[in-house]
Amino acid sequence: MNLRGIQSLALLLWGFQSELLIFAIPMTLLWEGRFFFNRRWALTKQDFYLLADLTSVCLVLMIIFLFMNRTEYHFIRTLMQWLPILLFPLTITVGYSTHERLTLDVLFYSLRRQKQPVTQAWDLDYLLLGFLLVASGTSKDIGSFYFPIVALLIFLSLLPLRSPRHSRRTWALVCCLVFLGALVTHTGIRETHLELRKRAQVWLATWIQQRTNPLKSQTSIGQIGKLKVSDKILYRINAPEGVAVPGLLQEAVYDLPSANSWSVLKPQFSQQEHTDDFIWDLIQPKATDIPLDIYHEFHRDSDLVPLPPGTVRIQDLPALEIQKNHYGTVQGQGMVPSPRYQVTYRPGQNQTGPPGPSDMVKSRAYSGVFSKISAQGVLDSNQPLLSLERFFSDFRYSLYQPSSIISNPVEDFLLHRKAGHCEFFATTTVLLLREMGIPARYATGYAVQEYDDMLGMFVVRQRHAHAWALAYFDGRWRAVDTTPGIWLETESAGSTLLQPVFDLVSNLTFLFQIWWNDQKQEDYEPYLYGLGTLLTLLLIWRISTSEQVVVSRRTIKEEEEAALVQGDQSPLFQLEAKLLTRGYARKPGEVFASWLDRIGYREFLALIPSHNRLRFDPKGLTESEVDKLAAGVEASLSQLNREDQVNAEDQVVGN
Amino acid sequence: MFKDWVYPAYARAMRPRKKPRKRRPTERGQLVLTGALLTAALGMNTESSFVYQLFALLLCIGIASRVTLRMARPNVSVRRMLPRYATAEQPFHYRIRISNLGDEPEYDLVISDQPTIKLPDRQQYRTEREPFEESRNAYDRFIGFHRFMYLQRQNTGIAMTPGKADEIAIKGYTDVEVEARPLRRGIVSFSETQVMHQDPLGLNFGLTHFENSETLLVLPKRYRLNPSWQVSGGRNFQPGGITAAWSVGDSDEFVSLREYRDGDSMRKIHWPSTSKSTARKQMPVVREYQDEFFARNALLLDLSSNNAQVIEETIAVASSFALDLQNTDSMLDLIYLTDNGPRIITAGRGTSAVNEQLEALATVQSCHQPFLQLHQAILSHCRLITGCIGVFSTWTPEHESLTHRIRAESVTLRSLVISDQELSPGPFTTLLTSSIQTDLLTA
Repeated sequence: MNLRGIQSLALLLWGFQSELLIFAIPMTLLWEGRFFFNRRWALTKQDFYLLADLTSVCLVLMIIFLFMNRTEYHFIRTLMQWLPILLFPLTITVGYSTHERLTLDVLFYSLRRQKQPVTQAWDLDYLLLGFLLVASGTSKDIGSFYFPIVALLIFLSLLPLRSPRHSRRTWALVCCLVFLGALVTHTGIRETHLELRKRAQVWLATWIQQRTNPLKSQTSIGQIGKLKVSDKILYRINAPEGVAVPGLLQEAVYDLPSANSWSVLKPQFSQQEHTDDFIWDLIQPKATDIPLDIYHEFHRDSDLVPLPPGTVRIQDLPALEIQKNHYGTVQGQGMVPSPRYQVTYRPGQNQTGPPGPSDMVKSRAYSGVFSKISAQGVLDSNQPLLSLERFFSDFRYSLYQPSSIISNPVEDFLLHRKAGHCEFFATTTVLLLREMGIPARYATGYAVQEYDDMLGMFVVRQRHAHAWALAYFDGRWRAVDTTPGIWLETESAGSTLLQPVFDLVSNLTFLFQIWWNDQKQEDYEPYLYGLGTLLTLLLIWRISTSEQVVVSRRTIKEEEEAALVQGDQSPLFQLEAKLLTRGYARKPGEVFASWLDRIGYREFLALIPSHNRLRFDPKGLTESEVDKLAAGVEASLSQLNREDQVNAEDQVVGN
Repeated sequence: MFKDWVYPAYARAMRPRKKPRKRRPTERGQLVLTGALLTAALGMNTESSFVYQLFALLLCIGIASRVTLRMARPNVSVRRMLPRYATAEQPFHYRIRISNLGDEPEYDLVISDQPTIKLPDRQQYRTEREPFEESRNAYDRFIGFHRFMYLQRQNTGIAMTPGKADEIAIKGYTDVEVEARPLRRGIVSFSETQVMHQDPLGLNFGLTHFENSETLLVLPKRYRLNPSWQVSGGRNFQPGGITAAWSVGDSDEFVSLREYRDGDSMRKIHWPSTSKSTARKQMPVVREYQDEFFARNALLLDLSSNNAQVIEETIAVASSFALDLQNTDSMLDLIYLTDNGPRIITAGRGTSAVNEQLEALATVQSCHQPFLQLHQAILSHCRLITGCIGVFSTWTPEHESLTHRIRAESVTLRSLVISDQELSPGPFTTLLTSSIQTDLLTA
């Protein structure tokens, strides 16, 4: 099917939208050129196999490149925008070859070895047109002209398929209705999406309460069975030589307790200013502050940023902006995957805001049990830490929770089982501190305890997720962790025997990512240009040495008409007309040679080969040959005229 | 194991629908559908791209295409005109007459004749293989869908290419030439004829179904034979040009004299002898000639192999000989074993036409009756024949014994064994299934 003009418009649209006009213009010229250039290359299947393989390799390389550089490029969008460039060599090669379609064995390697003939074939022109239109739409910054242009291109590409059963008027009417319908539909889709998103946000805020929510933390208090923990490495922390690494990475802080969750009274976040180099100073830094490199890849657009208590500065964080709330919880916005960020922290520095009335709120759900404990006199507000140490001295760490449903799990933990995981200890510690009149908050994050010799860094696994209490003593917030120190060993006991292997793979991937991330575009640009030049030279050599054929640009109808018209001015027809006057008519379908032989004018047979070449040979006759034929016919006509004259004179004499 | 498990799913998917389809997408229609699915996936987030607008457009195009199919439905009738026979693997053309019953001219109709779909049964699906199946990739071999489709096509028996009617005048008709290619021998059934019309956008065909049941007998495929395959027994250059054979004889062959009997032709009276005899016995003497009969050959067909491909090739080779050994002056006996015992079909010299033998070969099936049943039939037939060609699908000591006994009866015998692998040398010619035509021409 001829997509002349339509494909070129689509190419230009794609180039304009994707800011790839530098590719789109030569591609358009090449594409249109095939309608003016009547030379075609007789390529074999093997040639197409090679080209398809090269396209596949390029596609794989591009996917790898985009995956490795997903911090800089949006994966799907970039891939879609570059796909036409990848597909174009194959499409244009088909266009300049003697083939019209590509059989599927060219595109699918697995079909090449089978002995059954592959008959199914694809029209790559339409495939490329489809990719161009999709790629044009992936750009964010498109004006309102995208829809009408795309509609126009699609309708124009459908026009040659119109069945003669339907008039042009019907076709146009259907296209108009489709256009209007699509206009309404896409507006509806857009509005529906916006409405759904708004509602989904509300639903999510209401129902999906994750522990990473900065406004609310859902605990596992009250759940039954063994809690599942994962050994996946989430963070790697590199500190300068001889500097103590903070034992905790704080992710979020809460002040309001309920039955089995924590939330915040002040949910507002304030945006933090950054310098031109994207450095956020939360507090004025000092020279004595300790820098830390934290390696972690954020996969969400908006995510909480775990920080050591007393963080002063954040830099190299792959976020457009960061926000901080009253409790010191930091959230990044517009984040892209990037393996590293750097923080500077000052031990003992307050990161959270001063205490308020909400830091003394007691849980109504568990008020009874805490009153009971308070009545026992085990809590001494003058020595709160010592009281807590004594109180929790006979408690043990356990990931297992009883299978029977308990109406008050905190009471069960405090008075009966005396065993639980960190959330129990942190929650009860906060509430016990408040019972003693000390402002306290509930903090979640990760414990930094495991050192990896291979990397020379601390690693934080998913199972190192932790909860602890923050108590306000002596004008600053201090971490109070009453969870028995054995908790890390207990949680690591569940690791598989293959964990070292998984860690090795994870570390190697990490090292490669770090190395790749340090590479600059300038480092591999020369190789890319070199490869491109080599491939271009190879292509030029291949094009110049391939077998070529000249094709006619005429349609079949034009060809038939041309075949009928060719040579109709042959001088021999004058001879035929002359002989007709003598009564020698040529029978239908009788060729000149047979006719002349039949009527006895064999002396004119010598003219026939030239006439036949003029009439039927596509190359025709040269001018001198035409002149020679004309001269021969002229001589024959003269001879016939002389005979006629002689006959006429004889008749006159006879009369 | 997997094939047993997956068979019902394929059978269910490929079974003819109770409710016939009303539309079928064209190639461009499939592209639009695929594009709509792709853009639906890519354009889900209306914030990040405008692909959803393209999705809306493709969706509306698809809907419009379907809705407008109801416009301008053709008002026609169809009549199929099949030939009497077709030959397996030989494309042939036939006509379908399509008459316009409406008050508007009809344009651009596609006529598609539909054979009755016959699915493979579970046993066939498990045991039979697609040719060159080993060259398919591991996934296709494991899934077995191509095998299922191949067996379905083979069972259905014919592949059709749709024909096109560009224009039909009001109350007029046109004959559309349709090309068909029988895939196997036997009876092929046609169930219906579909008349397809396009929507204005050219993305879907609307289908109008016409029930049109008919059957066609497909004769076995045949090979070209080298003339050297002719069996002996003929004698040329006889008086009057009769090529009838000796063993055999002919009407000009004088044997003896005898006394006249009632009914003898006057032309047969040998007057010199009569004159002498009349004097003595007063009875005319007539010339006696050799009885006139003709070269009679046998074509022995063995269908005892378990290999379906070998059986088919054996029948194809036998059909080639059945047609090639026929001439106006000879007779040919086709002898083979069926589940009901040996069967002999004689053709030539007014007994019956070769068509009967080919029709029989078109429907014959493999037979696993004891081969000894055939011994008796052939040996009792040996005194009538001069030459025999045996086309065997296997070669066992029983076959060898039979050929020895036929030769012992002074019958010229040429044995051919069809096989898919090389056989150890023996008193026969091996024809490999992969190169039968070459072997038949070069042997």
